[in-house]
Amino acid sequence: MKAVGARLPRYDGVGHATGRTVYVDDVRVNRMLHVKALRSPYHHAAIKRLDTSRAEQMPGVAAVVTHADVPLLVYGHLSALGIPADEPLLASEDVRYKGQPIAVVAAEDTDAAQAAVDAIDIEFEELPALFDMRKAFDDDAPQIHHWGPIYPHFEGEMNVRQIRKGNIDEAFEQADKIIQGVYRPAAIEQMPLETQVGLSVPEPDGRFTIYSCTQALYFSMGVVAAHLQQPLNKFKFVGGTVGGGFGGKVDTATETLCTLLAQKSGRPVKWRWTREEEFLCSSTRAPWHMEIIDAVSNDGWILGRKMLTLHDAGGYARFSPYGVTKHSFHHTGAYTIPNLHFDGYVVFTNRVPTSAMRGYGVTSVSFAVETHMSRIAEELGVDPFELRLKNANRIGDTSPNGITYTDPSTVDVLHALAGATDTELAAPYSDTTREMRHGEWLPEHLVGQLGDPEDH
Amino acid sequence: MAIHRGRGIASIEYPTGMNQNGDPSQAWIKVKPDGRIDVFSGTSDIGNGSKTIQTQIVADTIGVPYDWVTYDNSNTDSSPVCTGTFASRATFVAGKAVLKAAQRVRERILEVAGQEMEISPEDLEIDDGEVLAKGAPTKKLSVGDVAAAATWGHGELITGTGAQLNPYAAISDPTTGEVDGVPHAAISYAACAAEVAVNDETGEVRVLKLTQAYDVGKAINPALVEGQIEGGAIMGLGLGVLEDSYPYYPSAEHRGGDFGSYYNPSSADLPELHNIIIENPSADGPYGAKGIGEMSNNAQPAAIATAVYDAVGVWVTELPITPERVLRALDARNAGSGPRREGKQVIFDEELSINTVGTGKAWTAEV
Repeated sequence: MKAVGARLPRYDGVGHATGRTVYVDDVRVNRMLHVKALRSPYHHAAIKRLDTSRAEQMPGVAAVVTHADVPLLVYGHLSALGIPADEPLLASEDVRYKGQPIAVVAAEDTDAAQAAVDAIDIEFEELPALFDMRKAFDDDAPQIHHWGPIYPHFEGEMNVRQIRKGNIDEAFEQADKIIQGVYRPAAIEQMPLETQVGLSVPEPDGRFTIYSCTQALYFSMGVVAAHLQQPLNKFKFVGGTVGGGFGGKVDTATETLCTLLAQKSGRPVKWRWTREEEFLCSSTRAPWHMEIIDAVSNDGWILGRKMLTLHDAGGYARFSPYGVTKHSFHHTGAYTIPNLHFDGYVVFTNRVPTSAMRGYGVTSVSFAVETHMSRIAEELGVDPFELRLKNANRIGDTSPNGITYTDPSTVDVLHALAGATDTELAAPYSDTTREMRHGEWLPEHLVGQLGDPEDH
Repeated sequence: MAIHRGRGIASIEYPTGMNQNGDPSQAWIKVKPDGRIDVFSGTSDIGNGSKTIQTQIVADTIGVPYDWVTYDNSNTDSSPVCTGTFASRATFVAGKAVLKAAQRVRERILEVAGQEMEISPEDLEIDDGEVLAKGAPTKKLSVGDVAAAATWGHGELITGTGAQLNPYAAISDPTTGEVDGVPHAAISYAACAAEVAVNDETGEVRVLKLTQAYDVGKAINPALVEGQIEGGAIMGLGLGVLEDSYPYYPSAEHRGGDFGSYYNPSSADLPELHNIIIENPSADGPYGAKGIGEMSNNAQPAAIATAVYDAVGVWVTELPITPERVLRALDARNAGSGPRREGKQVIFDEELSINTVGTGKAWTAEV
């Protein structure tokens, strides 16, 4: 029997279904310490005083780590992609979201660790906070990030991710209708059954064995190595079996701090976030704000699109610039629109930093584009399948970035869906293919933009 | 009170691999003295089934039974780099790495077998754990015997390494967004039809049925593809009608803190699901595969929002489509509000626009 194409049961399915799979929290080692964190109770505040000396003397406490203990405090997880660092591993001067970690304690048990956290002497000065990214551009908006209200480090030090294609003004002049809408998907929780958890074991040879729930072993090992300023061979990441990861388990939320505490105490350190921490402090899917203005013809061609996107990064950039760039590349959805004018911003607010989550950058735009397509179909009185089949990307069309589509299947999936929902399609929609559309489909002004000019 | 039914569709695309590429995966394989295969890959299995998928790819590429293959992704001392399990890249990018490693192992098995059988390796093939002479299948040697010969006779270890890296596509012009290369490993496509029932008294939206077609290039394991389609659909349903980290947005207070105070989908919300798998093979993916993991929660929210409009005639474009939002939209419609029409312009949702809510000059919507 060939394996490829076969409905084989999951390699690890029996273990998962019978509870015998070993996840990070199942790993127990001798003399293991447990962690609690001092987290910001404010959405935005300056830290005026931080003194851990009393906490360090508490019974059962083995180590306390603050910003002063981190060799490289501020490290950008996507620095390799040119996104500069802005987020300290532990807050030092200010806190920008409720739940931001300021200090961590490793103790004999979680009660002792929590008692020590409660004994940390800290003084805040609460500052005005910003929550609605639509107000970040206001003159009187609270200043919450040292870079300003929006991320300023796209290529060429631009503060906006732009797409420009074709001649947008001409498209809007030619339009029979200009249809405008606003789309706002909410932040949602990652909510894996396994909360963020890590265990760092100092080995006799000076290495650290780090049990991790990361979705990316080498990526997370690189993060730990960078913060500790050590070569990769100081660490052995153990993992590969994740109790649910939808993007948030790329955050490397516990591994670095466990290792710093293990280094300081000389003992194994485990940190398992509580369900409450997972809800309040782990990264969410971002709230997005999208405004689409489409220039359309009465017979259902999308001639041009102007679009504004605001992406709520929360208090720090993390992966957000990557997410907005990916978003911009896909802002036409499964269609070819010849004239484009897109502006996307990464906006800072006092929310928990948002992060990658299943469909990163595109889940938002799929909702916006497809709901907008439905509205266009309704406004024009065009069948929703036909509108989509008409504008569907074809072989030889180009993407917003000018990349040629080689094997688009929009037509195929729409035909399959029509068949499965007993939807009768009329010619030419019933027999169109993913091959380049031909001239008879096109209004005069779109020949050359959307079709093969040889046809005319 | 009346229950209204409606239907909406959506059609989406989604890239495989990290945006702009530049995300390597590597793997290596060794052969035990009895021909059993050990795969070392750095790909975390996040529930997506990448262990199973990569094991299937290795078994067929070498030509041995699936249960001869052991897959180890447990640690960074024995496994090489995998950028990670995200960006729908595990089947395509990491799968291509194990495929290349398996091809090298297959070549080495054939070379050793060729010496043992005194037949040129080009005239040999491997099927179901046996090395066969092409056209003369009675001349054969088990892969186990080949591995034993390598170990005890030739003093060799049969291994193979593989790596996959689609080069980074830089943005060559940040003012236009043009890139200097292909910025994805492949693109997958899907279409979704949602059928809903909307209660015009309570505002509740029930998703009754989701019919979905996905082009995944090649379903390496159709059961796992269906798992992604169905699991993703329920996540998309949550995004569409249930979940919100900030239920009093823009306030950041009153967040759910446990499973009892956050509305994630449960079995009570399950709609009828009808899945269709299409296989338009990708040019470069292992066996023509491309990614499905993430896109499977992208199509439902728009299909549901459209179905709600079809049912009760109001557009709710803030997610989730809660009973409160449906009732407020119905009230607004009944009070006569709708899009503003001015010349050829049709302006929906003006009250949500940055130009209404903010005073900043980030963007002007005038056209």
